[in-house]
Amino acid sequence: MTQKEIVKSVLDFIESNDWSEEAFNHQALHLFAYQYKHNMAFQTYCKKKGKTLRTVKTWREIPALPIKGFKELTLSCEDPSQAEAVFMTSGTTSGVKGKHYHPTPEVYNQSMIINFKERFMKGQEKIRMGILFPTEKEMPNSSLAHYLHLAKENFGTADSRYFVDENGLQIEELIKELKEVQQSGKPYALLGATFSFVHLFEALHERQESFQLPEGSKLFDTGGFKNQSKELELNDFYDQLSTYLGVDRSKCINMYGMTELSTQFYDSGNAIVPSIKSGPHWIRTRVVNPLTGGDVADGERGVLVHCDLANFNSVTTILTEDVGVIKDDGFLLLGRVQGTEAKGCSIAVDELIKATKG
Amino acid sequence: MSVEEIAGYLPTIEDEEIEYKTLSFTGNKETIDLKVPILTNEQMIKVTEKVKRASKNKLKSKTVSEIVAIIDQTIEQLLDRNNSYRQKAEALLPIITGYDKELVRLGLTSYLKTFRKQQLQRFLVEDFGNPIVLDDFQPRGKKGFSKAVGPDLTTHVWAGNVPGLPLWSLISSLLVKSGSIGKVSSSEPLFASLFARVLVEVEPSLADCLAVVWWKGGDMEREKKLFHLADVVVGYGSNSSLDSVRSRIPITTRFLSFGHKLSFGILSKASLDSRKAWKTAHDAAFDVIRYDQQGCYSPHVFYVQQGGKVSPKEFAYYLAHELECFEKKYPRRELTIEEASSLAEWRQREEFSSYTDMEKEIVGEEASAWTVVYENMSTELTPSNLYRTIKVVGFEQFDEVISVASFYRSYLQTVGIAATPSKLYQIANLLGDIGVTRITGLGSMTSPEAGWHHDGRLNLLDLVQMVDIEDSAENYAESLAPYLD
Repeated sequence: MTQKEIVKSVLDFIESNDWSEEAFNHQALHLFAYQYKHNMAFQTYCKKKGKTLRTVKTWREIPALPIKGFKELTLSCEDPSQAEAVFMTSGTTSGVKGKHYHPTPEVYNQSMIINFKERFMKGQEKIRMGILFPTEKEMPNSSLAHYLHLAKENFGTADSRYFVDENGLQIEELIKELKEVQQSGKPYALLGATFSFVHLFEALHERQESFQLPEGSKLFDTGGFKNQSKELELNDFYDQLSTYLGVDRSKCINMYGMTELSTQFYDSGNAIVPSIKSGPHWIRTRVVNPLTGGDVADGERGVLVHCDLANFNSVTTILTEDVGVIKDDGFLLLGRVQGTEAKGCSIAVDELIKATKG
Repeated sequence: MSVEEIAGYLPTIEDEEIEYKTLSFTGNKETIDLKVPILTNEQMIKVTEKVKRASKNKLKSKTVSEIVAIIDQTIEQLLDRNNSYRQKAEALLPIITGYDKELVRLGLTSYLKTFRKQQLQRFLVEDFGNPIVLDDFQPRGKKGFSKAVGPDLTTHVWAGNVPGLPLWSLISSLLVKSGSIGKVSSSEPLFASLFARVLVEVEPSLADCLAVVWWKGGDMEREKKLFHLADVVVGYGSNSSLDSVRSRIPITTRFLSFGHKLSFGILSKASLDSRKAWKTAHDAAFDVIRYDQQGCYSPHVFYVQQGGKVSPKEFAYYLAHELECFEKKYPRRELTIEEASSLAEWRQREEFSSYTDMEKEIVGEEASAWTVVYENMSTELTPSNLYRTIKVVGFEQFDEVISVASFYRSYLQTVGIAATPSKLYQIANLLGDIGVTRITGLGSMTSPEAGWHHDGRLNLLDLVQMVDIEDSAENYAESLAPYLD
């Protein structure tokens, strides 16, 4: 099986709109065989877990690779130096960045576009967009920058634009645009990282200003508050989003994505939080006990495992550091597993590392 | 079904409605709601004044041997398994902390034993030589007299879930006749409260000498006020939380801090012949399972010397076997999803690095309640993730261990040693130089002896203030004596 063939099979599967367990399984095992053969680090990992092509019979049995692995191992079926795109994690805690190699961006792009059209655009062709995130040029290794680039290129009207430069949020220009949009009466979409919106709230609070964006407008945030100094409760965040911009909470869509994946999850608005997240037919999620890797009982909290069939070159199945619980039509994201506070008086690994490395 | 229980202890303050905060715990498949008192700022000041007064009038009027007798009787009650407080501790601590019942029971007994009369006397002699110096001025070799005066009020900020830990500082304060206000940790708020109640039953006149309360850590206004009123603050916790406590303590109040610590074991080849190796592994495993390594004295790493009959790598398997045996008898406490996840992460990191480090070996299934990681000596002391995860590192010369450990000077505490007598003293010297403060036999790392120098300090002496009557005062007084001719 060549890379070309595997890419074609993935694109066909994305096109197929086949939601059956059987089809998913078939494609997942097909990819597992390909990755087991060509991704040496993954093969070693599988062997250490006692999993081989013969023992893995369903997508649920594919060893879930912890996302730490993207930092420690080279996970690629192709020569990584030939990859057209390399997306990297922020590496804020340890300084080491996880790398996700995409030999061709075709699959990532197709996965993003079809899913975004369905879940954010909801059939609409184009909308005027304001983007609260740096451009792809400024952040060439950010999957989110690339994602937002795709959104703007494919679904943004010609007057769509970015509002972040090297100095941060261009608040004056943004406010000017929001005023203009409010007057125009035409629907508008503001998309960005969650913390960019928090900066916007602060600026609007200072100026004692707020907007009532036209009917049909929508908001998009992603990323949550990880590593940001100021954290808002989810409820407060969407309240403020709705109050400052005049968009109903049900039209505020949150996207949950990861550098380690090629497919994103969305909710259907945030009238109630936490909202249920779900993905397209080419990604499935399990909730596991992180120690045993086994599924937790129905309705219990556990750590999320995603099997993303658009991840054709790295590994389909990853063990995240996100806590969640399965629901009928998706899952609830309950936050990240934080490094636990030491309960006793023995020093914890993180504390010691921090102390000795400064 | 969940049980409800009131924790904390308060002196009698009239006409006061006390507010309680409920802390819920689930462990060993049971749930308990513990209600801890939260005082308003006004109530806190009232309690503080009451404790200070009682400390002056009641505690300071007792002799140190009377106080020793009271503590001894209190401990005797708590050692008696038919005592209702003891029964409560045995029943509830496993729920609160999640530790195995039998392990809690054994731990309590061996811990409480270190506070019996004879041990307390040793503790006192250790720090004061002549403990009567706490009662009255005692003559000094260089002429003059001295007396040790305890604080009126010591404030304790306790942390952690190792049961009984607050007793060290609480009993120390009592011994130097200081009143105490203790803030219990939200992960184990019960035991200090039980001790206070038994103490007051044994000696009702001490009813107002102490208070055990709770407030949310970092409550700046409250802490500032309270620390201002205290003579001494004793704080436990991580360096960052101690830092923030310290920022609220006025310069006139003494602050004794006990931060998180790092401990390890050194096993010489003498302990690794084919007969002794099993006992060595058993003792080492015991130090690991005790409170699932949550204590400051619990080992993160065992340094094992090459050249014995049993190689360090083989020893890792011996240790694994012993941990598995202990797991059957004293299972590890159930982990929360967060704890499990951080453990899984640690294990994964070790596994990934074993792909490139051929010497490295990870012993134990993913689902087992323990993990032993063997690795060769490196330039870093990588801590384990606790909860029965332990590293075994092979070395040749003791100097290698010393040079690695010396980087962690301010964090070092206990080293458990299995070595011949001559080696013991040789290593002890080197360890002392790099900041280690306690050296124990293997298997005893988690049971400090009475009178130990916790983190290298003189724990009672640190609490008191010495008052000197200099020779000149004596002479001057003589010159004014009525019997003077």
